[in-house]
Amino acid sequence: MERQPILRGLLTGWTALFLVFLYSPMVVLAILSFQSGPEGGPQFPIEHWSIYWYRQLFNLVPASSVAPLPLGGALLRSLALALTTMVVSTVLGTMTAQAFRRHFRGSGVVFYLVVLGMMVPGVLVGLGMALTANYVGIDRTWWGTVFLVHVVYTYPFSFLVMLAIFNRFDRSVEEAAWSLGVSPVTTFRRITFPLIFPGVLSSMLFAFTLSYDEFPRTLFASGGDLTLPLAIYGTFSVEIHPNLFAFGVLTTLFSFALLAVYATLMTLSVRRARRVAVQEEIA
Amino acid sequence: MSTTTQAEVVPMAGEAASSGRAARRQALGSWMLLAPGVIWMTLCLVLPMLMMIYVSFWTQHTFSIDSTLTLDSWEAFFSTPTYLDSLLTTVRLWFITLALILAIGYPVAVFIGLFVRNKTLQTSLLVLCVVPFWTSFLIRVVAWRPMLGTEGAVNIILLKLGLIQQPIEALLFTQYSVVIGMVQIYVVFMVGPVAFMVSRIDRSLIEAARDLGASTARIFFTIILPLSLPGIVVGSIFVSVMVLGEFATPSALSGGKVNLLGNIIVTQVGSLKWAFASVCGVILTVLMAVTVVALLRIVNLRREI
Repeated sequence: MERQPILRGLLTGWTALFLVFLYSPMVVLAILSFQSGPEGGPQFPIEHWSIYWYRQLFNLVPASSVAPLPLGGALLRSLALALTTMVVSTVLGTMTAQAFRRHFRGSGVVFYLVVLGMMVPGVLVGLGMALTANYVGIDRTWWGTVFLVHVVYTYPFSFLVMLAIFNRFDRSVEEAAWSLGVSPVTTFRRITFPLIFPGVLSSMLFAFTLSYDEFPRTLFASGGDLTLPLAIYGTFSVEIHPNLFAFGVLTTLFSFALLAVYATLMTLSVRRARRVAVQEEIA
Repeated sequence: MSTTTQAEVVPMAGEAASSGRAARRQALGSWMLLAPGVIWMTLCLVLPMLMMIYVSFWTQHTFSIDSTLTLDSWEAFFSTPTYLDSLLTTVRLWFITLALILAIGYPVAVFIGLFVRNKTLQTSLLVLCVVPFWTSFLIRVVAWRPMLGTEGAVNIILLKLGLIQQPIEALLFTQYSVVIGMVQIYVVFMVGPVAFMVSRIDRSLIEAARDLGASTARIFFTIILPLSLPGIVVGSIFVSVMVLGEFATPSALSGGKVNLLGNIIVTQVGSLKWAFASVCGVILTVLMAVTVVALLRIVNLRREI
């Protein structure tokens, strides 16, 4: 089947078109972010190329009729929220996956309870959390109620990643360490953790990006202080300007930087694991 | 984390002694590991969802609610054409989006998973599909505006190519733009799982079928489709969860013309109609639950991890 040239040609073409479809909005957005300002609109044609809108993001241009995006505080809140969510969700996910290495009664119920967190549409979780907070009489805040529902969302991802890692994990290495009298703490630090490290890293990446970009859950669960997606959403109701596009390009670059860090750490850990394996073979 | 490993040591000793006390301690260890997650999900997910069901029966006043139980909000929902329309629109756009995502994404996934032999190229193509996911969701939604408008990129290109004489106005601020936007944003959740399942198919199975004279169509329907089904199911669950809960894409790309149930919820919460918003929420939950349960009957999710 893979050798049929016509089918292969068709599918290659289809995939190429698919990639164009996937990327063209971002490419257009990136081009338009270099629109002239402040009079240039969010569409073609480009009057002349400029970095006006990038400078406007950092308040480097004289004030004009276009208000700067209110992003400073929101960015810091989103980063703090994403970092905390990342840590808590990875710890919870690892603990739960660790428990799942052994069969226990009710494992089915617990599995679906956790996975439910990624299966309930976000707007409903946000609504439910807002209602509960109102009922119990606690304030809705980005560091309180929003944090709680972000972990509800990212924890299932961390759990599934760690479960997949533990399923491919050779128990005999840990058992060998114990039978040689190595203490549990040392075993975890020297044996278990290095083995599950790629999973921990992936779980952290998932949790950070999901929380950093999370919008529907945040909308109802937050109080007056905005996170980054809420601030962006706020600009939709008024006329949009190319400064939003410039911001989009910058956040994308930030995400790529994050991915690069992830890829570097991953490569390093894989390489280290390989080196250890080779040493063992020699010994 | 040190308690984690201690819990692991105990059963080792316990197995040797095979005492009931060790088994109990082992169970206790498991539950200590599970408790934080279970408590978190119960308090922050299950309880809020129950709260939503409860509030949907509360009495709605103009700007407040009280806990006197009533069916008023439910009756209002099912007797108002606007809301029933919105329910139908939600279901219709969900089916259209899911069908398009399957039609567009499935061939791509089969190509990446089966036709690309080179592992590096395969991974690169998958990464290429996932990369847009790392741009903010809302930015990706708004990126469709300069694409689809009357002066947008699509119209400019079609005009330049001479394919159309007049710019197509129906592209932006209609239900088409909403569907196009949702397909582009969520299609990767179908491509990923399906490509993963397809790449796991043992190629000698296909070789054997061909050696025995099976046609391409036969190979597809008896080998590739059944073996990729878990991927389709997982992808459909992801896409359904996200499309059913959508409200940002319609509000940014339809100019207020398309109102999904999610949009109704946002509007109602904005005017403090919590009871009514809860009714819409419960209806969405039921829709979602029926879908997920039906899809999970086809495939056992736990076995696929």
